[in-house]
Amino acid sequence: MNRGMNNVWSLIAASAIVYGFLAIVMGVIPGVVMSNIPPTEGLKPFTAAQARGREIYVSEGCAYCHTQNVRPLQQDLVFGRPSVAGDYAYSTPELLSDHRNGPDLTNIGARQPSTTWQFIHLWEPRAVVHDSIMPRYPWLFDVKSHAGPGDEVVPLPPGFRPSNGVVVTTEQSRDLVMYLEALKQVPLRGGPAK
Amino acid sequence: MSATAKAGRVEAVRTEAAAEDVAIFSAYTITATFWLLFTTAVGLLLSFKFPYPDWATSPLLSFGRLRAIHTNGTFYGWATIALVGSSLYVAARASGVALVAKRWAWIGLWCFNAAAVLGTITLDAGLNYGDQEYREWIWPVKLVFLAGLFFSGGAIVRTVAARAEREIYISNWYTIGGFVFTIILSFVALIPNYQTGLGQVGVQGFFMHNAVGMWFTFLALGVTYYALPKLLNRPIYSYALGVLGFWTNLVFYPVIGAHHFEFSPLPWWFQTLAIVFSVGMLVPVWAGSANFFLTMRGHGETIRRSYALPFIVVGVAYYFLGSTQGTVEAFRTLQSIWHFTNFTIGHSHATMYGFITFIAWGAIYALLPAATGKRPHLLATGLHFWLATVGVTFYVLVLSVGGTLQGLDWAAGNPFIASVDAAAPYWVARAVAGSMMFLAHVIFAYNVWVMTFGPPPETMRHTTLPAPEVART
Repeated sequence: MNRGMNNVWSLIAASAIVYGFLAIVMGVIPGVVMSNIPPTEGLKPFTAAQARGREIYVSEGCAYCHTQNVRPLQQDLVFGRPSVAGDYAYSTPELLSDHRNGPDLTNIGARQPSTTWQFIHLWEPRAVVHDSIMPRYPWLFDVKSHAGPGDEVVPLPPGFRPSNGVVVTTEQSRDLVMYLEALKQVPLRGGPAK
Repeated sequence: MSATAKAGRVEAVRTEAAAEDVAIFSAYTITATFWLLFTTAVGLLLSFKFPYPDWATSPLLSFGRLRAIHTNGTFYGWATIALVGSSLYVAARASGVALVAKRWAWIGLWCFNAAAVLGTITLDAGLNYGDQEYREWIWPVKLVFLAGLFFSGGAIVRTVAARAEREIYISNWYTIGGFVFTIILSFVALIPNYQTGLGQVGVQGFFMHNAVGMWFTFLALGVTYYALPKLLNRPIYSYALGVLGFWTNLVFYPVIGAHHFEFSPLPWWFQTLAIVFSVGMLVPVWAGSANFFLTMRGHGETIRRSYALPFIVVGVAYYFLGSTQGTVEAFRTLQSIWHFTNFTIGHSHATMYGFITFIAWGAIYALLPAATGKRPHLLATGLHFWLATVGVTFYVLVLSVGGTLQGLDWAAGNPFIASVDAAAPYWVARAVAGSMMFLAHVIFAYNVWVMTFGPPPETMRHTTLPAPEVART
């Protein structure tokens, strides 16, 4: 066989040079170039509360079932217009996702504008979508015997109310819902997406 | 001092060195087995959350946190530690020496386990590096893992550098390559300040696929190139095919990552390039699997009587099938239906389980009994093999069907919930398949105990087990 490759250091050097080159060309350079794509015209950065809500979305692993990536395919247009590169300018960590056990959320703020619906759905998804398999997020809420002043009570339908009191929102659930409501696509100017 | 006494002392030192190598191999295998049990118990729990979403709804047991614990734990706890343990043993054996840097091998083991423990705890606390598959661990945990790669890889390199053989055996090409690529890849993934927004998507496509194909594939092929000829007592069919596989995998694989983001806003030509090279991947995959199958040809009886070979046969079959499936999945027409569906979960289990995990088992059953002198329980090995083989095959089949139905429902323009309803029975079937696989892991854990802490071979001489056919060196 190749005599040179029988020196362990030649093997390491050759592997590192070839792979290092490919890692720069296929990983680092695309990373640098695409990190500098300007935001879509009209796209706003997240407010502090929305950004905190986004952190909850990331930390609870919402992206394992929800994409934020509308493809230029007929079946995706129900979720919004096809996503373009500039839509992700403020989205770090990225949440495009590989899995769609639940619907795409790119434009959920426009498609489901009801704040109340979002709170009920996070407390118990099956209260609003009978066959949903989404997990519940009860730890984003408080259960109190009586609502205090300033408490925001979640108006749950019969059968989904706790027997020992009322469900009220917390800063966490409010932040998360503010983030979901901020997920609105901005219209494109100058023709359709590539 | 007489020549005999001197030779005796040299022999004693050599035996002691070999004994510590066995202890290192055993310790890697035992801790890997712990992670297999733990993370697949988590996987099983997750599979039951599909039919029973209102079950176990505390934050620590929630789907979104446990999923990353399942994937990272099986990758970096189970498969990494199991394959590195076997690779260390192979590096020494194929070099004709004892392990040179034993302390480094132990430090590597501690680092891998510490990273898996810390990674599990932080993920369950909701601390992650984004929901980016296989790089969810936060950076301090990744650094501990990287140290593990450095020390265990260093032990292998130092052992191969001190080899008694003239040539570096092909197994060690694959192993050393795997370490070099993965250490480079870890830096690409870790350095945060050049990847934001869509740029991070580009890096993620590169990372997630390379973490599988430049690490687990290389280690698994490395141990197969050693274990298979040993078990069959014949040389590998073609050394040249092995070298071809090494270089083509190295050049083609890093280009295919973007096929995880087809139809995304990543540049269209970038996605097309990934699809073209996905087809190119047929070269190393078919070269490697053909090489293994041609080595096995005509040895059906040996395979049937072996503890280890049936696992390697299934592993190579899934290497061929799972990787070829990956190429087919990359075509845009099929991707438009299958992407985002559970078909991809079936694919990941065909490869990480059918291929990687079966090869890890085959390597352990091939090498560990020879190292410790303790054979696994025959009936238990058979049960392990059949439960795991039938389990994973059923798993892949039901998710492929369920995933296809999801994709067809979307393409038909049905309401989203229709795709959930269509997949529901297949999720129940998946939980059944997962239960079989988990049972297989419990049996495997029993066998690992038998092969390490079990009764010494003297007491086994009186049993009626057929003569073992294990690797001899």
